Amino acid sequence: MGRFLLPVLATAFLLASPVQAADAPPGASSCTGCHATAKIADSVIPRIAGRKAADIVTFMREYRSGAWPSSVMGRIAKGFDDQQTEAIAAWFAAQPE
Amino acid sequence: MSTRRAFLMGTAALGFAPAIASAQGAGRVVVIGGGFAGATAARTLKTLEPKLTVTLVEPNPVYTACPFSNSVLANLREISQQEFRYDGIKGAGVTVAETSATGVDAEAKTVTLADGNKLAYDRLVMSPGIDFNWGALPGYDEAAAQKMPHAWKAGAQTTLLRNQLQAMNDGGLVVMSAPANPYRCPPGPYERASLIAYWLNIWKPKSKLLLLDAKDAFSKQRLFQNGWAELYPGLIEWVPLSKGGKVTSVDPATLTLTTEFGSHKAAVANVIPPQRAGAIAGQAGVADRTGWCPVEPVAFESTLKPGIHVLGDAAIMGGMPKSAFAANAQAKVCAAAIVALLAGRKPQDPILINTCYSLLAADYGISVAGVYRPDKGQLTDVPGAGGVSALEAVGGLRGQEALYAASWFRTITAETFG
Repeated sequence: MGRFLLPVLATAFLLASPVQAADAPPGASSCTGCHATAKIADSVIPRIAGRKAADIVTFMREYRSGAWPSSVMGRIAKGFDDQQTEAIAAWFAAQPE
Repeated sequence: MSTRRAFLMGTAALGFAPAIASAQGAGRVVVIGGGFAGATAARTLKTLEPKLTVTLVEPNPVYTACPFSNSVLANLREISQQEFRYDGIKGAGVTVAETSATGVDAEAKTVTLADGNKLAYDRLVMSPGIDFNWGALPGYDEAAAQKMPHAWKAGAQTTLLRNQLQAMNDGGLVVMSAPANPYRCPPGPYERASLIAYWLNIWKPKSKLLLLDAKDAFSKQRLFQNGWAELYPGLIEWVPLSKGGKVTSVDPATLTLTTEFGSHKAAVANVIPPQRAGAIAGQAGVADRTGWCPVEPVAFESTLKPGIHVLGDAAIMGGMPKSAFAANAQAKVCAAAIVALLAGRKPQDPILINTCYSLLAADYGISVAGVYRPDKGQLTDVPGAGGVSALEAVGGLRGQEALYAASWFRTITAETFG
């Protein structure tokens, strides 16, 4: 029953708040200054819309710790805690790829 | 539509606006200024809430972007690559009024246009960019800018400065002057000095560049100075405030820049003058005595005039610099906040990012980044985050950042103009 109920509730919630994009978690809207919403043919910066949330969270943790070397992402990842990062990752994962 | 009829309709609608807005989740938003902040705000508002009536007031049919315009000076790009039209904004359902705003009445909630029409609004977004403080630097006025270009609003001024550089004899002295803070694009004068040096080094290698500065420190300073020593030894001389760098007057007839310590006669002079928020901000009453616009840090609503949001270079954004990335990020936060406010909801506390690349050569990039959140009434750096590129570049970092810079420009312009 739990399995069945959850999607129904989620659907009801989405119908009740049509302005889904307005509910992007804090910080998410800034990401698209570099990680394009639209498909840009000629960019070396990857799009993150539609990527798995767990992958985005892992990258952000590795950038933050410096385990994965980066140019700007380490400096940016340090501005977000785990909870904020997870919310942003879940939101991008739900966007069309 | 006649002025009178537009005005009457506006007035009539205004009386019922709160009820209409809350009942239908709709409302009228006017955006003044179609740069990175305004164009983004208009498009995002329409995307988030299609029922909104969004009007963008912008007199120029073509926007000429400042980021990467220093590459035009260095012959790495053409000015046409800096130009963007508003077709994508119109396609998103935004009404573009191709005229200037001449007046804002914050009490009546109306904007008067140069074509005589009047627009009523529930929320007004002002993103007028910068204007120059003509007269703040004796000798420098609009006529002087034809002899000693500022090139700090991209377009004809950029082309003029490029043409002057190309016409200069090898061995000529290029003199730049950089203003005191705050001004549009804090690292911009230093990127410009770098890219002019890059071009001189190839085409006019006997030439020198003198950078007169009204301050003692600047954005990404060590990275720039290390890069200059590495790439252009002896070509760029930076004169800080404490060494007499502040330009106190200019003479366009002789291309002379005078400081407290002496005069410098230039073969080509680039004067970046003191700035303030675009003139309409003063008229609307949202600019304070500094010439810039104070705002609260959640929806960027003016602390001087309720119902008016100020974005981008014109606004005082706490720790956030006056950059195109910041303007775009602020506009997206503001659009979501306005949608919430018009629906009777409280906007959420935002987090914003800024990332800003500078080029020192075609394949040599550096960056600064920051993360910001509201704290004690203003946007404040999140401690421990942000900062500049590593001083020691390993693994081709400078080349990589130059590539990221180019990708960023393509992305931010697509994000903004569609």
